[in-house]
Amino acid sequence: MNCSFTEKISLLIDGELPATEAREVERHLFTCAECQELRADFLNLRTHIAGFETSLQPAVQNRDLKKILGTERRAPARGLRWSFGTPAVAFAMLVIAAAIIGLVFYQSFNRSNRDSRETATARTTPSPVPSRSVEQSRQQEPEATPEPTREQQPSQNKNNDEAPRSKPSTPKRAPVREPKPGEQFASIPDPIRAADAQTLTAMHFEKSETLLLAFRNVRLNEPNSAIEVGYERKRAQQLVYQNMILRREADAAGDVQISSLLESLEPILIDIANLPERPNQDAVRVIRERVERKNIVPLLRVNSTALARALD
Amino acid sequence: MASEDEEFTMLFQDFYPSLCRFLECLLGGRAPLAQDLAQESFLQLHRTAWGTIPVGEARFWLYRVARNMAINEFRKSHTRYRLFDRVVEVMSPRARNPEQEYETQERKTLVLEMLQTLPEDQRTALLLREQEQLSYREIGQVLNISESKVKVDIFRARASLRERWNKVSGLSRCAGLGN
Repeated sequence: MNCSFTEKISLLIDGELPATEAREVERHLFTCAECQELRADFLNLRTHIAGFETSLQPAVQNRDLKKILGTERRAPARGLRWSFGTPAVAFAMLVIAAAIIGLVFYQSFNRSNRDSRETATARTTPSPVPSRSVEQSRQQEPEATPEPTREQQPSQNKNNDEAPRSKPSTPKRAPVREPKPGEQFASIPDPIRAADAQTLTAMHFEKSETLLLAFRNVRLNEPNSAIEVGYERKRAQQLVYQNMILRREADAAGDVQISSLLESLEPILIDIANLPERPNQDAVRVIRERVERKNIVPLLRVNSTALARALD
Repeated sequence: MASEDEEFTMLFQDFYPSLCRFLECLLGGRAPLAQDLAQESFLQLHRTAWGTIPVGEARFWLYRVARNMAINEFRKSHTRYRLFDRVVEVMSPRARNPEQEYETQERKTLVLEMLQTLPEDQRTALLLREQEQLSYREIGQVLNISESKVKVDIFRARASLRERWNKVSGLSRCAGLGN
């Protein structure tokens, strides 16, 4: 094959050449015997490969179809898929995500405003008794900024009904003054909420670690035998939703470490949750390899311990 | 649900034989294994992916899954199924007359033997082109490679087969496959 057009002959018979180039190659074919022979041989090969008949019998085909249609379909796979199903769903998810991000920014903006005002007041009114100046500044605060507290009320109330109950546990603010009506929900639920989230995250890490250890210990017996992973699947299905919620909370709180760990854990939980009732060895092995590769189990252990210590 | 099953049945009737043929050629003629893998591919589609991927892309999904399964089989024992396949071939009912059957079988054997001399990626690309008539872009999508690699693979596969074909042309002429 000395002619420079040989590769183009292959493209020509596949219809993969642009029109102008195809015309050029066809013109060349009139003059080049080597390329003519090549095209004839390629087309001859195509005839033999395309003419290959399968050994499949129609009866076998119908039997296989019945067998496949007779199997149960896995409902969770639809709910847990990664891709956006329809534009409407994608749009709805974007709106929800934007709302969450907006709320988080709004709250953090208000908090930073309040803090900066407190600092400014403390600076402008130097006093030999620091506690008094802080007290004064705090007493002045509600008159100066009544709107944010009023606006924060519904969201705080909705997010955490325990705010009034947990108030005494924040020693810094409680003795300062009596909260005015409507102000009580705006004050200090954040540390409590953060502690709750940390507890939940630590527990979640422990449960996930146990699940992954159990999954690692699933026995792969015979080369072609199916494996029983019913417990692991069910547990992963329970954990995956909690994982999503905790990840969002960690994102909102700006906790990058926890968020990234939860993010690594999530696809693994989804994969385990999506396994068939009796999966083959390869499916299980692939997930195990991913768990090993990502080094998830030690990370879960370290983080759950660290969180538990921080809570203590 | 019923309409989903109907759609699935249509897809199955359209592509199951093609998928079996593709796998048979890829696996070097191990028909029972090819049918098992084709069935397993459709089973996975039905159980996990049906409804989550566009119907138009289900075909590509099937070829990708089937090819991966075939690659897994290559890695396993090559001899396990060979004897069983021979037994099935001998025992399976034949509709044609013996002479016609012999010619068809000879032709199939020759094509399969020649295809087996190709590297797996070239063989797959060529089969998807010649048997399934996928475009280069679609083949790239199935095999997760670039169009330019598809182009090169197909050309090399053809050139290599042509060379071998010319070498065994005498034998193929005896079998009634002459150019």
